[in-house]
Amino acid sequence: MTEIVIWVVKVVVVWGALLTTAAIMSLAERKVSAWMQYRYGPNRVGPFGVLQPVADGIKFIMKEELVPAGANRLLFRIAPALSAAPAMLAVAVIPFGYTAVIAGHEITLSVADLDIGILYILALGGLGVYGVILGGWASNSKYSLLGGLRASAQMISYELTLMLSIMAVVLMAGSLDLRQIIEGQRAFLDWNIFYQPLAFVLFTIAMFAETNRHPFDFAECEPELVGGFHTEYSSMRFALFFLGEYCAMTVMAALNTTLFWGGPSVPFWPDAPWYVGVVAFIVKTSFFLFLFIWVRWTLPRLRFDQLMRLGWQALLPLALANVMVTGAVIALTAN
Amino acid sequence: MVILQRKELTLAERLYLPEILRGLSITFRKFFKKAITRQYPEEPLPKDEVTRGQPRLVVKDDGHLACVSCGLCEAACPAYAITIDGHEVDRPIEREPERFEIDMLRCILCGFCEEACPKDAIFMSDELELADLTRAELVYGIDKLKRPRSALQKRIDYVYRINDRWRNSSSTP
Repeated sequence: MTEIVIWVVKVVVVWGALLTTAAIMSLAERKVSAWMQYRYGPNRVGPFGVLQPVADGIKFIMKEELVPAGANRLLFRIAPALSAAPAMLAVAVIPFGYTAVIAGHEITLSVADLDIGILYILALGGLGVYGVILGGWASNSKYSLLGGLRASAQMISYELTLMLSIMAVVLMAGSLDLRQIIEGQRAFLDWNIFYQPLAFVLFTIAMFAETNRHPFDFAECEPELVGGFHTEYSSMRFALFFLGEYCAMTVMAALNTTLFWGGPSVPFWPDAPWYVGVVAFIVKTSFFLFLFIWVRWTLPRLRFDQLMRLGWQALLPLALANVMVTGAVIALTAN
Repeated sequence: MVILQRKELTLAERLYLPEILRGLSITFRKFFKKAITRQYPEEPLPKDEVTRGQPRLVVKDDGHLACVSCGLCEAACPAYAITIDGHEVDRPIEREPERFEIDMLRCILCGFCEEACPKDAIFMSDELELADLTRAELVYGIDKLKRPRSALQKRIDYVYRINDRWRNSSSTP
């Protein structure tokens, strides 16, 4: 019985935190962009505009829902869910802390401790693109279709880099289990960033492409494709695409933290209590979420051929070389 | 014809990453600058006598309108926004408007009525805000248009100064 209660509480807390993060991100995006451009950003709803996400949500629900003529109604309707659900599911394996002891119960701080956690996240990341492609195809609009096609081409190109950069970390830890990966990085100097700086750079670049964020947001490239795959969407389904994007960003930021920055490990305080670890994890993840916004308002979008050249001719060879060197060093030092 | 010489990029520039970091540092420094946005309803727009806002009718110190309903502004108005009905009175000015309406939805704030007026009865005020729920509400009658002379004094002085400049200019054609 207690097992089930603990499990349900964990699901509610993690899922709630993910959705809250998405809501905060929608405000943070506008606030940070405003501050970088000498503006105030939304500041009318509530103090400093903090209730803006609530107002946005109400507005989204009140809006009329349109389905374009000639659209494939079934696919058009399920595409946003297909885009948002994988991102929300992926957060389940992220370990956001070590082991907590509350009222005599030992609780591992992650919803599910899969021994193939990384594989699970990558599989769901691959599924996430289906929502984008189907949404673009089902809309019966050339802009949406082009957006969807670009998204699929981009995902295939950058998923390889993403996986290979993760593979270097997996080689270091000797496990696909995210819990083992953070256990291996408990001490500050054991953080993977110090051993795998190249993998970190590659992962971070691929992370932007994987979540369709600037400077790789070809799926919704406004000047060329109006709105890309979500051109024809309105109301809550449009909001669901956005929710999916922000959830995917949150998961990627958390994964970056877990793989390279020690997850919940606190520098120079090895026996920190579990809640300090959780705070450390949140702080690190927040930094990467900020980085998403920061980069968006700094860099211009690449051209599509530049994106492909960067993916296949620069990042992929580097990632392959990194895996080979890492593997060779581990094999040599093992004997 | 211009032949552009493309600059050869150095290795550091071709790696992109140092340049990206430089770009990020620039946007991060802007982050702490004070916003230059004007918070409009709380922070009103700067106004002075040159501001050409909505036309208003002058109420003289004796409490009557300066307007004699001659109809010159009505004729001068390029947008046909002014409608005047006048009648005779026993006071020395002999006429006053019975109805003086400016359709604010038609008014283009050109100031021709101000120029046309021989009696200094209509001036452009510094009132700029114009919003209502119905079109009928935006057809302003005498009640909404009249302002005491003191409220328009700055504009009146300004118009006199400008007119004097033309009048005293030796290079008039």
